[in-house]
This record gives sequence, structure tokens and C-alpha cells, in this order.
Amino acid sequence: MAISHGYIELADSLSSCKVLVVGAGGIGCELLKNLVLTGFKNIEVIDLDTIDVSNLNRQFLFQKKHVGKSKAQVAKESALQFCPSANITAYHDSIMNPEYNVEFFRKFMLVMNALDNRAARNHVNRMCLAADIPLIESGTAGYLGQVTVIKKGMTECYECQPKPTQKTFPGCTIRNTPSEPIHCIVWAKYLFNQLFGEEDADQEVSPDTADPEAAWKPEDTAARATASEKDGDIKRVSTKDWARSTGFDAVKLFNKLFKDDIMYLLTMDKLWKKRKAPTPLDWQQLEDSARPQEETPGSGLKDQQVLGVWGYCQLFQHSVETLSSHLQEKGEGAELVWDKDDPPAMDFVTAAANLRMHIFSMNMKSRFDVKSMAGNIIPAIATTNAVIAGLIVLEGLKILAGEVETCRTIFLNKCPNLRKKLLVPCVLDPPSANCYVCASKPEVTVKFNVHKTTVLALQDRILKERFGMVAPDVQIEDGKGTILISSEEGETEANNHKFLSDFGIRNGSRLQVDDFLQDYTLLVNVLHTEELEHDVEFEVVGEAPDKAPTPPSNQEEANSITNGNKDSAQPSTSSKAEDDSDDVMIVDSDEEEAASSATAKPAPSSGTKRKHSDAETGETSTKRPRTTQQSSAAADNDDDDDIIALD
Amino acid sequence: MIDTIEKEDPVISEEEAAQYDRQIRLWGLDAQKRLRGSRVLLAGLGGLGAEVAKNLILAGVKGLTLLDHEQVSEESCRAQFLVPVTAQGQNRAKASLERAQNLNPMVEVHADPDRVEDKPDDFFLQFDAVCLIGCSRDLMVRVDQLCSQRNIKVFCGDVYGYYGYMFCNLGQEHNYVEEKLKVVKPTRDSNDGPEAKKAKVDLNETTMVKKTASFCTLKEALEVDWTSEKAKAGLKRTPVDYFLLHGNEKCQFIKQVKKYKCFSVIYVILDSKPLAGFFCVENSFAGIRPMSPPSTKFHGHGHAAFA
Repeated sequence: MAISHGYIELADSLSSCKVLVVGAGGIGCELLKNLVLTGFKNIEVIDLDTIDVSNLNRQFLFQKKHVGKSKAQVAKESALQFCPSANITAYHDSIMNPEYNVEFFRKFMLVMNALDNRAARNHVNRMCLAADIPLIESGTAGYLGQVTVIKKGMTECYECQPKPTQKTFPGCTIRNTPSEPIHCIVWAKYLFNQLFGEEDADQEVSPDTADPEAAWKPEDTAARATASEKDGDIKRVSTKDWARSTGFDAVKLFNKLFKDDIMYLLTMDKLWKKRKAPTPLDWQQLEDSARPQEETPGSGLKDQQVLGVWGYCQLFQHSVETLSSHLQEKGEGAELVWDKDDPPAMDFVTAAANLRMHIFSMNMKSRFDVKSMAGNIIPAIATTNAVIAGLIVLEGLKILAGEVETCRTIFLNKCPNLRKKLLVPCVLDPPSANCYVCASKPEVTVKFNVHKTTVLALQDRILKERFGMVAPDVQIEDGKGTILISSEEGETEANNHKFLSDFGIRNGSRLQVDDFLQDYTLLVNVLHTEELEHDVEFEVVGEAPDKAPTPPSNQEEANSITNGNKDSAQPSTSSKAEDDSDDVMIVDSDEEEAASSATAKPAPSSGTKRKHSDAETGETSTKRPRTTQQSSAAADNDDDDDIIALD
Repeated sequence: MIDTIEKEDPVISEEEAAQYDRQIRLWGLDAQKRLRGSRVLLAGLGGLGAEVAKNLILAGVKGLTLLDHEQVSEESCRAQFLVPVTAQGQNRAKASLERAQNLNPMVEVHADPDRVEDKPDDFFLQFDAVCLIGCSRDLMVRVDQLCSQRNIKVFCGDVYGYYGYMFCNLGQEHNYVEEKLKVVKPTRDSNDGPEAKKAKVDLNETTMVKKTASFCTLKEALEVDWTSEKAKAGLKRTPVDYFLLHGNEKCQFIKQVKKYKCFSVIYVILDSKPLAGFFCVENSFAGIRPMSPPSTKFHGHGHAAFA
């Protein structure tokens, strides 16, 4: 029984090769432990985040005393305890930093993602394609998880299948006609920014007079829009300035937001023809009729209590006072950043959202539930991450043994399928010929209004947010090679607020977009249109059309996994993560049912203005039913080989 | 035992709420309280045992007893991450204690250096759940019989290279709840807008459905007559690993099937003769090629690379 030579070589390459782990959170901690114990000797790990107490239920390389410290650094130190001879390098940094260029990635034989957001995944995908290094991609959410392998030219890349873009809500829903708690929560977060944070023109909270639904005649909409711009009153003054002028008086604020603005909405009577009309609140009335809150026996968490309306009035007042004093302390021109783990910020959103929910006849929610929605929290446990990290290493060993063709996508389900399997492997798909990232000369067609789209919007909304670029350079294919956007800071800043049409861009124009860091060139075909939906800035042509939303089956809802919310091209701040949960791609709980769940089409690719940094819906791999059945057929055949004939 | 959580403090502290936040959001506060009130026994602190210990401690059980009579060998430190490299010669449970405790100071972790076989019956009865890792078949059958009658949950498991198994016996009448999403039926009133007419699934509204499951004992699971027609028909769907549970008494049985390459690893492992080298075996799962370790102990590790 001779030793197979391949395995001795594998053992040697383990100790000599360099691997990169991107992320030191839930999956990252388990993965580091596995790599070290398996015998990997040269490991580099990068994470921009610091440790939070809510990480400690699963990120076991961290202890209470480490809260606030760099995840990558502490993970390295803890892992070294298991194997002091391992060579681990830790980077407390964002993987999207240009320092980590193609040359950096080429150092590694294998890259393993342990990320929680799409922007970083897209970026690492491109870097690994550029460097031609195999990438193991993974994600978890609750009991569900997934691992897959990406190898240039051989498999699909991370962006080959269009993934549903994060769920956003139209401005008028947020500002005028909320119908679900999430609309009120989004509104409350916008309000936070308008009052205490960075003011954003796309995060208006006041009634939207230009709401097309409000007009009895189409002409009225335009008339109202121009009229509101001309008003010399409150609407022209920024919300923050107005609030400041009142000294952040909570009662004045309350009456404007929850009484006056609601009364204004009531005048837009067409909105309430088929909807239940909102009921304004009056501070004095509520105060007068307030009864002492009955203490419910503390069987639940304090945060899981739902207060009465007056309770939320008081919470609103307290949080406004705390936040305005924080703002004052920070001095002139200061801004606060919303953070779910900052108690007054969370209190503020809880209170404001609930008051609005009450106004619009929705049942109020506990702070616990609001935090889940506002903070895009994805529940997480240690064991799912442990299983996925184990699978990552197994796939990694196959790659290092030169057996990439045996690699699979593996789904970890919550319930066993008909074959009693919790782990379901699927054959990897080849690259998509039309992939706008890994095809040989990627091209897309984007529809927008050249007279209304600014250069800045093109850069930020389309190229960075939608197409995942970090530092785009844009040239117009006009025979002159006019440079529209330069990634060098300051060079083309003057162009930012000009419209694309000012540069001669019109229907049929072509833009060559390069991201040199990602070694990525994309040709953008311009399709001019004047007919986009209200609040829609652009549309990517050629992706699955948006279907009217059908009521999802329980199965689909149960399967729909939310991804991390860190979708902006900007990495989250290293001081506090907006969400530390782990990302995941959608998982079907039963391969037999894959056919039905696969009909959940990816969300429309249009970019809307009102981007709520909300959890994205998971991706569906529409090809999966075929491959799953293939692999289960294969599994079946192998089962046949295992029959033991006994006498 | 698990049903009587009332005897424990029902109030979750702020510290616990903060630390367990992400898991409470998954399995609910009630489940967390039950975990918080449970005492678990873990016998066997090899690689698999260490993983189980980590997961239970992180989950926030009340107490975990680490039971292992083995001494720390050079291999132990490569197999698991709780034993410091300097602890050679020490008892494996005791050597694992410090790092295990540090995973979560809110759990009472104990180390016991005794042999699990030497423990009297009433030792096991003080726990809500017992995990037996890498234990002999006879011991597992004995403990399983003893515990399952008293509603003490039993889990057994072991790993062999790329193979492994887990067996659980949650009792003849195991009660549990399943969370089902509520579908909000559209209302008949047309006061609300067109939106309200659609059936929505409110992701925050769920109902708990009560269910009962019945588990067989380990003894019953091992005593299947594989020569019967019914068993033969079910053989196709029986995972290979099931046969790993059978000890040396079944060597004859195993030898008969060694001609099927997928079983050769089992034969070699269960035979008392030391292995001469590595074996390559085809495995239907995900196309990987597992290897058996070149060691006499079927739960040991010959090479760190294939732990």
C-alpha cells in the first residue's frame, strides 16, 4: 500500500505556500484556526474592523478584553498560540486600499474570502481574476451557508450571475406613503442624518410635493415641484439649520415632523383615496393623556418591550437632547454618524420610526426589532461558520493538490433534503460569456438621461456602486479620447456637477472605463432616454426585467438571505462597523424545490435615488437546479457502487 | 431536566444580552434561557471534542464538564487548539481547561481526568445532555440506555480522517417547537390601499408550532439485521460511515466487504495491526479522496496535514 505521491507533495506545498484570508470575523476566525491546524505555515489576514462585544458569541479568537482592538491583529495573536511556528501577517486595513494591488495578490497561491459585504467581494473577485489566483468564496447567515470556488477561465466569477441589488424604496414611499415598518425606519435614519449627520439630498424627510401619485393631473406634479422650490419658507432652509435655529427643541421638532408635516400630507388628498390616511400627533394632547407605563413582568429582554406612544415621545425627546449636545460638543460644522451600537442614535431611530408607524396605523415595534431592521443585523452562530470554514479548507486542499475540477459549490442547509443531506454539492459552472467582469472584452449598455445625469452621478452611482469599481478612469470614445473622469484626486473635479450632455455624450456614445487597480476595463454604451420611472436614475440594459412583485411563498421567504449592508464602495469606518454580520448567497433548502425558488428573479438593476443601505436579498443561481440534479444523479450512481451484497 | 428552566434565574443580564445578541436573534430568547440552564458532559477531548467544547461554551450553557483520562501527546497540540504546546504529559482535560474557560467566562467549565468507563451511573444523571466522543461502542450503548430513559439527551460521534459520524438520541418523546413564518392574509376592507390587498409575509411575525419526535436507542440502531430484505433495500441509502460504529466484533463482517474499495479504509482501521502506509480511497461525497491515517488509533492523526 504505497503512499500516493500526490499527497506527499500536497503536504509539502502546505508548509511552503502563502495564503490570504480576507476578513477575520465569524468565518475568518474559524478559518484561521483550521488553516493553522491543517499545517499551513504562511498566512496573511486582513480586516479593517475592530472587535465588538456582539462578536464574542462566535468569533472565538477574541475575548472580552479585546473589545475595541483590531480583529486581524488579535486573530493573529490568538492563532499563534495554537502554532507558534506559523508565520502570520495581520493587516488592519481595507482590502480595497490601492496598496493591495495585483502584485500583492500574486504572492498568494490561494485567496479565501471571509467577508460580509458585496463591494469587497466584487473587488477581491476582480483582483483574483487579474492576478489569476484561485479564490474561495463563502458566506453564512443563521443556519445557512455556502462555499464556492472561483478560478479564472474555468469557473464563473463572482459577478458572472447578476445578483439582486439591494432593496431600495422610492422616495415618495419614504416621505409620503409608508405602508410598512421598514419605510418608517428608513425615514427615521434619514431624519437622523438630516438633523445630526451628513445631509444628503437623496435623504429628504419632508413631504414630497412632486409625488406623481398626488397629482390629479400630470401637469400638477411639475407645477408643485417648481412651486415648492420657489417657496421662501422652511423648505428652502436645510432641516439641520432649522433645527439648530430652534435650539434642537424636541417639542418643536416633534410638532413639525409628526403634526404639521402630516397635516400637509393630508392636503394631498388623492394619496388617501385608497389608503388609510395618517393621523397627526399633538405633543400637548399626548402629554395630558399620558398614563404611567405598566411594568410588564421582565421575562423578555428590556429591549423587546414595546412602549406606548407617550413612551416613544419621551424617548424621542431624550435622544434629541443627548444627540444635540454631542453635536454641540464636537463644535462647528460637526456631523454625527449613525451607528446601531450607539445608544442615543439607536434610541432616536426607534422613537422616530415608531411615532411614524403609529401615525400611519402600523403596530409599533420593540427597540430589539427596530435594531434588527435599522442595523441590518443578520443573526449568527458559531457552528455554521465552523462548518463553512471546514469546507473552505477542504476545497483549498483540492486546489493545492491540483484537482480544481473536483471542486464544488457546497450549500449548507437548515433541514436535510429528500436524500437526507444537509450539505449539498453542485458542479461549478463555466464562466458566463456575457459577464461584464470576466468576459474578454466586457461591455454593458446603460440607460439614462444625458441631460440630467451628472459626471459625479456617473462615477459614484453607476461606476462605483453598480459596477463595483473603486477608482474609475473614464474616456469618451469621441475620436479625441476626451477624459471625463480621472481617478487622480482633483484632476477632473471641475467636471463633477456638469451634465454628461455638456461633453457631447448622447444616445449611442461609448465610454471606456478603466479601473487600473482592478486591472479592469469596461465599455459602457450610452442609451439616452427621457422616460425613466420617478426616482430611477439609470437602468442597466439586458438584465432580467423587473416583474411585478408576487407574494412570495413561505419557502422563498425562509430561503431569502440578507447580505451585509456595507454596500457602498467606501469601506466602513474602522472604529465601529455598521454591521458585523456575515454575508451569504441565497440557499435553497431543498434541491427538489430549487426549480421553484429559482424563479425568484434577481431584482431590477436600475439604480434608484433613495438608496437605503438595507440588507440585500440573496442571489439566486438560476442554473442551480440543473447542476444540483446532475450532482445528485452522480451521487446516486456512486451510491450504487457502495451497495454491499451480504449473504 | 431541560424542561425545568424555571429553577434558574429567568432574567438575562445586560452582559449576556449583549454577548448573545446575534444568536438570540436566531433561536430566540427562550432557547437561550434553556441553554443557559443546561449542564453538559463532554467525554473525549481530541480534535472533535475540542470543537464541540468550543461550540457549546460559545453558545452559553450553564456548565460543561470536560472528561478525558488521556495524556497530552505531541500530536494533541496539532489535533486541537485548546491544549497549549507546553502541556505535554498533562491530563488532556485539565490541559484544555484554561483556554476553554476563556472562550466564555459565563460558563462553568470543569475538567475531570477520570476514565469515562469508570464512572458510575449516577455520574451521568447530573447532566442535561452528554456528548461521547471517540468512546467504545459498549460504553456508548450503556450510557445511551441509561440516559435516554431519563430524558437526558445523548450525542455520540467520532472522526477518522475524512470520515466521521454523529449519533443522537433525544428520547422516545422529544418535544420541540418549530418557528413558522406567518402569512398575513389580505383583508377584505378596501380602506387600505392596493398594497394591503396582497398577502404579505411579515418577517417579524412568526408562530411556534409544537412538535414531537421519536428517536431510537443506539442499541436498536446497531442491531439492525442487514441480511433481512427490508434492511437490504435500505442499504443503498445508508451512509458508509454507519459501519464505522461497529467495533472489532464486526471485523468478519467488514472483511467481507473489503473488496469494495470504499470500505478498505474501515477494514484497516478496525484491524488491530498497525497500518503500513497511506491508503487512497474514492469517496462519493464531493469527489474528494480521503486518506486513512497511518496510526493504530483510529482517531489519531498521522500527519498534521490530514488532521
